[in-house]
Amino acid sequence: MTERSLDELGPVDYLVVEFPAGASNFTGEMAAELLALVDAGTIRVIDILILTKDEGGAVEAMELSDVGELGELQALEAELAELLAAEDVDHLAAAMEPGSTAGVLIWENLWAAPFAAAARRSGGQLIATGRIPIQAIIASIEADEAPATEGD
Amino acid sequence: MPLRPARAGRVGVIGAPVAKTAVVAKAVTPGPAPVAKTAVVAAAVTPGRRRRI
Repeated sequence: MTERSLDELGPVDYLVVEFPAGASNFTGEMAAELLALVDAGTIRVIDILILTKDEGGAVEAMELSDVGELGELQALEAELAELLAAEDVDHLAAAMEPGSTAGVLIWENLWAAPFAAAARRSGGQLIATGRIPIQAIIASIEADEAPATEGD
Repeated sequence: MPLRPARAGRVGVIGAPVAKTAVVAKAVTPGPAPVAKTAVVAAAVTPGRRRRI
């Protein structure tokens, strides 16, 4: 990891992608898309874990390097910062269904770093951030259109 | 397989149990077809749409 000041750090996000039992279909497409984002300088991958939850609810965590042949992800694996702690595993696995496998991805939004740094240099402070669910957007636009169609 | 030793004893960054996010594909199943929903969302985020306040 290259030394960078905190002032230059972009927002860091995480996601947990669950693969229900028998539903996974790994073709390499996910790895290719992830690497494309890294190569484009859009994100920097900070950490990856693979979680499994058995039918009894017991959770096991694996490092990416434990998966086996990584192919093009090998170079990415060598750069992981291993931010997640052991105590994070149960918190992340709370959303998983029994019998499933999940990938956890932690990444820095490099694309946002210059803007965030500029905002801070301008005296701004981030006071709120979040994601708007697609469902909320659907509800908004449908409510917006409802009065127009009711009279038709 | 166990996690790397460096992860043990470290302070976590997630903080609390993660709640399951609503799955969009399931959320849009009732009502109009998903394709129509997709078009609606695309229209909602298209530049030029103006809010009414």
